[in-house]
Amino acid sequence: MHPTALRLVALLAAGLAAGCATVPPESDPEARAEYFETNDPLEPLNRVTYAVNDAFDIMLLRPAAEAYRLFLPQPVRTGIGNVIDNLLLPKTAAHQLLQGKPEMAGKAIARFVVNSTVGILGIFDFATDLGLEPQYEDMGQTLGVWAGTTNGGPYIVLPLLGPSNLRDVFGRGIDMATDPWDYIGQGDTVRALRITRTATQVIDTREQLIEPIDELRQRIDPYAALRSVYQQQRARDILDESPPRRRFFDWRFRPPE
Amino acid sequence: MQRRVFLTGLLAALPLAGAWADDRTSRAAAFIEAQGKALVAVLDSDAPLPEKRTEVARILREAVDVRGVGQFVLGRHWRTASETQRNQFLELFEETLVRNLSARFGELQGVTFEVGRAQPRGEEGVSVATTVNRPGQPPVLLDWLVSEASGRPLIVDLVAEGTSLRITQRSEYSAVIQRGGGRLESLLEAMRRQLAQLEARELASN
Repeated sequence: MHPTALRLVALLAAGLAAGCATVPPESDPEARAEYFETNDPLEPLNRVTYAVNDAFDIMLLRPAAEAYRLFLPQPVRTGIGNVIDNLLLPKTAAHQLLQGKPEMAGKAIARFVVNSTVGILGIFDFATDLGLEPQYEDMGQTLGVWAGTTNGGPYIVLPLLGPSNLRDVFGRGIDMATDPWDYIGQGDTVRALRITRTATQVIDTREQLIEPIDELRQRIDPYAALRSVYQQQRARDILDESPPRRRFFDWRFRPPE
Repeated sequence: MQRRVFLTGLLAALPLAGAWADDRTSRAAAFIEAQGKALVAVLDSDAPLPEKRTEVARILREAVDVRGVGQFVLGRHWRTASETQRNQFLELFEETLVRNLSARFGELQGVTFEVGRAQPRGEEGVSVATTVNRPGQPPVLLDWLVSEASGRPLIVDLVAEGTSLRITQRSEYSAVIQRGGGRLESLLEAMRRQLAQLEARELASN
């Protein structure tokens, strides 16, 4: 094996060995309860991944999101975001069927049809005005519904992708392998469109999170705060308690600040 | 017969219970409306910064169950803390709440809010939904958990876009203590450092 590769493997092995937090002893039941509630046995390793992601974000992702916000006016960004959201609706509808919510699935499909046609390929969200509100489901949520618990197993920070847990890692994998749009079309143009879609989705998501993540970084322990936020948000997503949010659209023209 | 009397009594009592719960929810909504208005008035005033900060601190002390929230946030470490540590913690905690707002005075200019639905949350209190609007910014959904456990309405939690502030804070503080070798002092030190940062930010942005 190549020496650098060997060193990398050794480093990874050492990281894994050192990467497990120790369970508090039986004599301290409260500490034990907290340990299982936090559900982060890989914390030492996760914190390393988090730090690497953070550095990557500061160097590349956040500046890209800032540029996106700077060069595209807000109504344009909202239109692009609407297109991205619209493309996720078939997947959402499929998961609603899997979760036994056919009425919701019908609404998701109706929303997709209205916004894809009247809303011109999803740029405008007229469906909300008709009472067909935004919704989002994924495999992680479906697995949560099937398991009958919002507990997604050990918290995992994925390289580049960020916060997740055992359930959502599986969910994400399944969603990525079964994206309906991957079954339509072929050739270089389609491939280019797919890459554009993924890149836009990443930048759009990051742009919306500029302020929240800036705030997060000011906290005493951003890692622990994000872990808690992620677990709370996913629980709400699974229980369908997250209020539907229409993308902000301010029609009044204002000169750039 | 006895059973019927009992049932009739129960049915007669039901509207009363409803009215009582209704009373509690409308009180909570009115409370949030009043405290919010007071806060917005301070935020929009032209008073000098220290004066505004003092006013905000006064409103927060009146509106928030600082001791209750502080106790919740410290969790299992509250019981093992000495009286001195508890007081130090509560003082730092309250100061953090105030400075978190005062460091954002600039951004919070021109803020408006609407009180939405108030819903009972059982033992925990009443959840009052608000929509906060800032000029040219997307609206933010904030739910306030109001409890009357102390005899008068007090805020015990803020749920911002579905995330409970006190749960997040508890998780974060407990991580800080754990990483500091289980010592509460390490949290107090970290809170002092954070306060210094917030102070610097306040000076820079106002």
